[in-house]
Amino acid sequence: MTKFKTILSYIVLVLASFLSAFPLYYMFCGATNTSIDIVRGRLLPGTHLAENFRTLLSNQNLGLAMYNSFRNAIVITVVTLLVCSIAGYGFEIYHDKGKDILMSILLLAMMLPFVAIMIPLFKMFSSWKLVNTWIALALPSISTPFMIMLFRQAARSFPHDIIEAARLEGLSEIKIFFKMFIPVMKSTYGAAMTVTFMNAWNNYLWPTIILQDKNQLTMPMLVANLKSGYSVDYGMLMLGVLICTLPTAIIFLCLQKSFANGITGAVK
Amino acid sequence: MKKKLVGALLVAAMTVTTLAGCGGTKDNTPAAGSDAGEKTENSTEAASDEGTADGDETLTVWCWDPTFNVYAMQQAEAMYQKDHPNFKLDIQEKVYTDIEQSLITAAEAGNYDTLPDIFLMQDNSFSKNATNYPELFTDLTDSGIDFDQFSGGKLADSTVDGAHYGIPFDNGATIMAIRSDMVEKAGLTVEDFKDTTWSEFMELAQKVVDANGVPMLTSSGGSEIVIEMLQSAGASPMVDGKVNLVDNAALKAAINVYKELIETGIMIDYTDWDQYIASMNDGKAAGVIQGCWIMSSIQAAEDQSGKWAIVNMPRLDDIDGATNYANCGGASWAVSSNCKNTDLAFDFLNSTFGTSVELYDELLPNAGVIASYLPAGESEAYNATSEFYGGQTVYKDIVEFAGKVPGINYGAYYNDIRSALTDAITNVVQNGADIDEEIQNAQDTVEFNISE
Amino acid sequence: MNKKKAKLSLETKHNLTGWAFLLPAAILIFVFCFYPMLQAIILSFSKKGTGGVSTFAGLANYSRILKDKTFQQCLFNTVFYFIIQVPVMLILALGLAQLLNNPKIKGKGIFRTLIFLPCATSLVSYSMIFKSLFATDGLVNNVISAIGLTPVDWFQNSWAARFVIIIALVWRWTGYNMVFYLAGLQNIDYSVYEASYIDGATPFQQFTRITIPLLRPTILLTAIMSTSGTLQLFDESVNLTAGGPGKSTMTLAHYIYNISFVETPKFNYAAALSVFILVSVAVLSAIQMKVGDKRD
Repeated sequence: MTKFKTILSYIVLVLASFLSAFPLYYMFCGATNTSIDIVRGRLLPGTHLAENFRTLLSNQNLGLAMYNSFRNAIVITVVTLLVCSIAGYGFEIYHDKGKDILMSILLLAMMLPFVAIMIPLFKMFSSWKLVNTWIALALPSISTPFMIMLFRQAARSFPHDIIEAARLEGLSEIKIFFKMFIPVMKSTYGAAMTVTFMNAWNNYLWPTIILQDKNQLTMPMLVANLKSGYSVDYGMLMLGVLICTLPTAIIFLCLQKSFANGITGAVK
Repeated sequence: MKKKLVGALLVAAMTVTTLAGCGGTKDNTPAAGSDAGEKTENSTEAASDEGTADGDETLTVWCWDPTFNVYAMQQAEAMYQKDHPNFKLDIQEKVYTDIEQSLITAAEAGNYDTLPDIFLMQDNSFSKNATNYPELFTDLTDSGIDFDQFSGGKLADSTVDGAHYGIPFDNGATIMAIRSDMVEKAGLTVEDFKDTTWSEFMELAQKVVDANGVPMLTSSGGSEIVIEMLQSAGASPMVDGKVNLVDNAALKAAINVYKELIETGIMIDYTDWDQYIASMNDGKAAGVIQGCWIMSSIQAAEDQSGKWAIVNMPRLDDIDGATNYANCGGASWAVSSNCKNTDLAFDFLNSTFGTSVELYDELLPNAGVIASYLPAGESEAYNATSEFYGGQTVYKDIVEFAGKVPGINYGAYYNDIRSALTDAITNVVQNGADIDEEIQNAQDTVEFNISE
Repeated sequence: MNKKKAKLSLETKHNLTGWAFLLPAAILIFVFCFYPMLQAIILSFSKKGTGGVSTFAGLANYSRILKDKTFQQCLFNTVFYFIIQVPVMLILALGLAQLLNNPKIKGKGIFRTLIFLPCATSLVSYSMIFKSLFATDGLVNNVISAIGLTPVDWFQNSWAARFVIIIALVWRWTGYNMVFYLAGLQNIDYSVYEASYIDGATPFQQFTRITIPLLRPTILLTAIMSTSGTLQLFDESVNLTAGGPGKSTMTLAHYIYNISFVETPKFNYAAALSVFILVSVAVLSAIQMKVGDKRD
C-alpha cells in the first residue's frame, strides 16, 4: 500500500517535472542551433552555441543589461523583504480592528490594472526629475500588498509564547522581530525572496516606461529587442532567453532547501 | 547556505547603492561580463540633457532593428560626420510598441523632456498620433526637405492635414514572392503570374497546388491580406471623415477572395508569425504576398537560392480602379517636439535620408533597405541582379511597384479598422458567418470606437 | 527609558509599535499606488475637451461600458479563464506541495526546481514554445492523431484557443503557487500526518482534514492573488493568441491596453474599465476574506 503510494507519487512528480522542464530543454536546443534549424523545428542540441553567443555579444550590450538587471533586482528584493516583512509582522502580531481594515484597504492596490496608473505614476516621477533612474524603477515595486499579506499570513503561525518569553527577557519589540521572527520564518523568507527577485527580474512594462536611456537596459528589454526586427535570429534569441532565465532558476535552486526543508517542528 | 546568500545580496546591494549614488548619469559601457566592477564617469551627462549646451552636436534617436534601421542610422551618422566632425548620434534601440507607448505616455502626462530628437514611426501610426498628439511632433513642411522626391503612396501616410511629419524611410511595397521551381513543376512560368486578376491567379495557383501538394500562398492571419487588396483598389475605408465599410464594393470582393483562397486550399493561414516564416523557409507553401521587407526572412533559407521570384500581386476582378499594387508596412523618420537643435536635425536628415543616393546605395546590399527615395531607384545598385531570385532585378522592380500604389485613407483609425476587419474575416471564414452582416458589424464597431 | 513612556499601558505601546512597523510599507503604497489610482478614478469621470482640458463627464464613460460589445466579449473570456483556471491550478499546486512534503520522497530539490521553472521562464520563450507545441502540425496534434483522434486547429477555433490559454496559465503558475504551499506546510508538524495515518485516514482525508484547514491562511492568500492576477490577465492574451481568433481570447486588460495605446486613444474610457476591474476584484476578494480570514 505504502509502496504503491510512493511509486504513484514518483510517477506524478516525474510527469510534472518533465512537463515543466521541457521549455528549458527547448531553449537549450535553440541556443545551440542556427536560426533556420530552429524555425524548421529541430529539437536536438546543436553546435552553434559559440557562434550564437558571439552574435549576441556583438548585437547587444549583454554585460550592461546583466549588471542593470542584477542591481535592480537585488536592491528591490532586499528592500522589499525588509519593508514588507516588518509590515506583515506589525499587521499580525499587533493586530486590531484598525490594522485589519487597513490591510483590506491596502489589498486594493493590487486590484487595479497597472496600465491605469502608469501615466499618473510617470507624471509624478518626471515632475521629481527621476525619469531614467533606478530609484524611480524601484520605488513603486517595493511595497506590495501581496508580500505584506504573505508575511502577515505567515506570522499567524508564529507562536506568541516566544514573543512573551522574549519580552520577559527584556528584548525590545524591534529586536524580537530581528532575532526571533526572521530566523524562525526562514521558509517564508526563502519563498518571498525567490518570488520578489523573479518579479523584479522579469518586470517589463514599467521599466520600458520609466527607463528610456540605453544605459538602463535590462535583460527583458534586451530579449525583447532580439525579437523586434523584421527578421529574427532565433538562435541568438533563444540564447538570450536562456541567459535571462538562468539567474532566477539558480536562485531558486539555492533557496529551495530553505523554504521546503526548514525544520520548524517547534511551532505548535 | 541561505544566510550566506542573504549576506551576499546585502553586500552587493550596498555596493550598488553607493556606486550609483555617487555616479550621477552613467555614460560609459561596462566591459561585457563585469557586473560589480563598473566604473562611473561623473563628467558627462550627454545622454539625458542633450543639445542644450553650446557646440554640443549630439542627437538622440529611437529606432528598433539593429540589422535594419539602427544600421541605417549608424551609416547616416558616419556619412554626416565627414563634414561635421563634432556630430554624434545617440541611438537607442527600443521595441516599436514601446516607442509608441513611450510617446503616448509622454503626451498624456504632458511631459516631453524624455523624448528623443528623432524617432522612427510605423507609417500606419502616423495619422493616429499626429491627429491625437500633434504636440509630439515638429512640423517638417518647411524643414528644407524636398518631399516630392519620395514615393507618393508612402508620403501620404506621414502627411496629416497637409503638414509633413515624417521623412519616408523604407519601402513597404507589396510583393508576391513565388517559388519558381514549384511553378515550373506545374508546367507554368513565373511570367504567367505577372499582372493577373484574382480569378486568373486562382486558376494558375490550383495547378501549382495540384503539382506540388502544398498551398500556393501562406498568410499570417486574415486582415493583412484583405487590407492589401483594399489598398490595391484604392478603396478607402474612410471617406470624408465617415466610416466606409458597408458600401465598399472592394472590401466585399476582397473578403470573398480571401474566403475562396482558404476554402480551396490555395492559401493556408498561420496565426503565429514564426510558423508563417517557417512555412516559407520549409517549402510548405509556394509563395507569399507581403510587404517587400519579408524578403530578408525568405532569404534566410540559403538553400533555396535561385528558387524564388518576385511579381506583383493579383488585382480584384470587376472593381473600378483595381491595380496590382499595394503597400504593407514601412516607417518614416520624425523629429520630436523636444528637439532643441532643430536646425541640426533638419540638416542631418536632409543631407542623409533626404538627398543622399550614396547612403541608400550602401543600405541596399548591406541592410536590405529598399528606399522610398525615388532618385535612389535609378542608381546602379538598384539595377543589380539578385542571385537568390534567379537573376531578377528585384530592387528595380520593387521601386517600380512602389510608384504605382494607389493612395488610401484610413483617417486616424487604421488600427481600429484593422481590428474590426480581423473579427469580421475570422467570423466569415471560421464560422461561416454572412459577409454583409459581418461588414455591418465591423462598421458599427469602428463607429462605436471612434465616437466620443 | 523615561518615566512618561513607562506610564503608557503596554497595550498602547504595542499598538503604536505595530503602526510604526507597518508605516513605511503603507506610505509607499499610498504614494505610489493610491494616489495614481485616485487620478485614474477622476479620469474615469472626465472627458477630454478642446485643447486637452478635462471636463466632468458624469457617468458617461461608465454607461459606455454597457453598449460596448468588445467589452462584453472580453469580460466573458476573462471570467471564463477565472472560473476554470484558478481552482484547477490551486488544487494541482496543493497536491504537488503535499507530495513534495512527504519525507520519504527522494530528490525533492530537483523536483521542486523543475516544477518551479515555468514561471521563471521569460514570456518570450514560453509563448514561442506554446505556439509551436499547439501549432496545426505541432507536437500536441501529432500526439492526438497518433492515438486516433481528430487534430484540433488550436489557434483558429475560439474554444480551443481559450483552452490553450488556460493550459498555459496552469502550466506557468502552478509551481509558483506550490512554493507558497510548501513554505506554509513547513509550519505543520509532519507527525500530525503520521498520527492520522495510524488512525486509518486515507491520503484524501489527510488532504481535506489536515492540509487544507492548516494551510487556510496561505490558500486565502493565493486565492486572492490568483483572482486579481487572472482578472488582470494580459501577457498570455497578447503574446500567445494576440486575442484571436477575432477577439475570442482577448482579456479585459488587453482590451484596456489596446484602447489606450493601439487604437484611437480613449484614456478616460480605459480608466472606467480599469475601475470596473478594481471593483470586481475587490468584491471577489472581500468574499474570499470573509470566508477564509479567521483567526482561531
